[in-house]
Amino acid sequence: MLTIALAKGSLLKESIKLFQSIGLDFSGFLEPGCRQLQIVEPTGRAKALLVRNGDVPVYVEYGQAQLGVVGYDVIREKKPNVAQVLDLKFGGCRLSVAVKATSPYRSSLELPMQGRVASSFVHCARDYFDGLDLPVEIVPLHGSVELGPLTGMSEAIVDLVATGNTLRENGLIEIDILFHSTARLIAYPLSYRLNTYKLHSDIDRLRKAVDAQTIAVGDG
Amino acid sequence: MVYQPPSGARDLLPLDVAQKSWIEDRLQQVLHRWGYQRIITSTLERMDTLMAGGAIASQQILQIQSSDEVLGLRPEFTASIARTAVMRLSDKSYPSRLYYNANVFRRPQEGSHSTQQESYQAGVELLGGGGILADAEILLLVMDCLNGIGLADRWQMVLGDAGLTRSLLWEFPKPLRGKVRHALAHLDRVALETMPMEEELRSRALQILDLRGEPESVIKKLSQMPLDDYQQRAAVNLQRLLSLLQATAQKRGLPDRFPIVLDLSLIRTFDYYTGIVFEVISDPASGQQILGQGGRYDELLSTYHPQAEAIPSIGFSLEIERLHQALLPTGQLPKRTTTSEKLVVAESVEVYPIALAQSQLLRELNPSAQVEIYLRSPDGTVTIDRETIYDHARQQSILEIVWIRANGSIDVEIL
Repeated sequence: MLTIALAKGSLLKESIKLFQSIGLDFSGFLEPGCRQLQIVEPTGRAKALLVRNGDVPVYVEYGQAQLGVVGYDVIREKKPNVAQVLDLKFGGCRLSVAVKATSPYRSSLELPMQGRVASSFVHCARDYFDGLDLPVEIVPLHGSVELGPLTGMSEAIVDLVATGNTLRENGLIEIDILFHSTARLIAYPLSYRLNTYKLHSDIDRLRKAVDAQTIAVGDG
Repeated sequence: MVYQPPSGARDLLPLDVAQKSWIEDRLQQVLHRWGYQRIITSTLERMDTLMAGGAIASQQILQIQSSDEVLGLRPEFTASIARTAVMRLSDKSYPSRLYYNANVFRRPQEGSHSTQQESYQAGVELLGGGGILADAEILLLVMDCLNGIGLADRWQMVLGDAGLTRSLLWEFPKPLRGKVRHALAHLDRVALETMPMEEELRSRALQILDLRGEPESVIKKLSQMPLDDYQQRAAVNLQRLLSLLQATAQKRGLPDRFPIVLDLSLIRTFDYYTGIVFEVISDPASGQQILGQGGRYDELLSTYHPQAEAIPSIGFSLEIERLHQALLPTGQLPKRTTTSEKLVVAESVEVYPIALAQSQLLRELNPSAQVEIYLRSPDGTVTIDRETIYDHARQQSILEIVWIRANGSIDVEIL
């Protein structure tokens, strides 16, 4: 059966809406009190797995899910061996460098040579600062990264920014953008090549749905 | 202290070995029927030999400091076979049909979740075999190997043409070409859609990415693209090869559709293969893993040849552990190791010589019989416990107990 890995959290609602638009209904995940981790949609043609954001590419890389929805930020950080099939255009955010508003730094290049940067995107941060030839120390954190500069542990952070509210409320400002991210449809490469469970027809319909959505948004 | 194996290392116990041999014996039978002979090359090679083909980087090789130079454990066989073939085989020995079956070593790649460093491969190299007849031989041979181990109808093949696909990228200007090729190799459609390039080139890149599916329809799509002479010849060759496979199947009364997906987006980021390339993939029920892969490498042997002579060649390798995984659910693999059929029990210390002589006689009379001696025989103070012996015999599925009585007489008891 076609298996789709969906990410818990901010992408879930839009992901479910998108699959509903091509006739695959996984809305059970959104019902209050739902504790199921996998749902077979009513027509019995496909199954969805509910997993953590960072685990989506893992299920797809091992071929346990033929399709998955995950943010481009996760793909950049984990570099999984998966096919990036479609930009789903929702879940927009950016991975940015931020510092305390009261600090003197206004661009990454101004950060001190042996400075510290806290991030849960250690690979992206490493690649970025290596690219600038700035030998900063990357401090790995799993959340509340904003505390890094506030406690004085680090000069800067590399973190996802969507609205910028969290940064503002914590007295931080964004000084550089590493890249912009949106949700992506990814596929297990061998299933994609072999058109397993005829997944190309689903991908085509998703593409049309995304295009229609984008045009509608554009008109609005 | 506890002595642990290195991370990722795996020991094969008798049942694992029995199952592995079951697979290897069947592969070997098929390969012999096609006229392939086994070759054994050195496990250790010079680093430059291993990397000459361009498909292997030094980070992938496990290195060993020998007395005066750094050597590498082979990560694959083709380099070793090419090296020895150009030195040791005379021109008259081509075409040369060789096969191998042994362990290979790879350093786990960054980002890989696996720590396995040693694995087992069986494969063939058809050296000095050019043209579609050799291509067809290799494709039919790989199918015969899979059928021979009982995986018929449990696999699919993705077939591409590295030379043709590479030539389709020629029209992309140099710096862009590498990026497009990388995106194709990783099936990264989003990158092709967003990379800065002329729209005409972009639609061409996306066209190449979608050159995949039913062989006839892909050939048709290809023929509608503007092709140069080389590409036209390659397309015709590919079409001939596919018709040849189909016609052969018809002659043998087999279903004329091989489970082949023609995929002209199948390309690697390095130039190693020059003609057809293929991957054999287990069916979704077995987890869609790559069971084996291969292709034509017409230029590789010239890299090793003192006069840089080109010797067209083609080959494939099969991953024994993946075949094992795919076969497990089918229930065909042996479920137990072969055990002794006869158990010789000495009832007293004095008749030990008779027990040893009798068991040897039984082995000589029937060389295929497995005869074991019961080792918990009495040592003068302990007397024999029949129930323990019957229990042991039942557990080991022993068919016959040969009792060597204390008076020297021999009684055979069939269980």
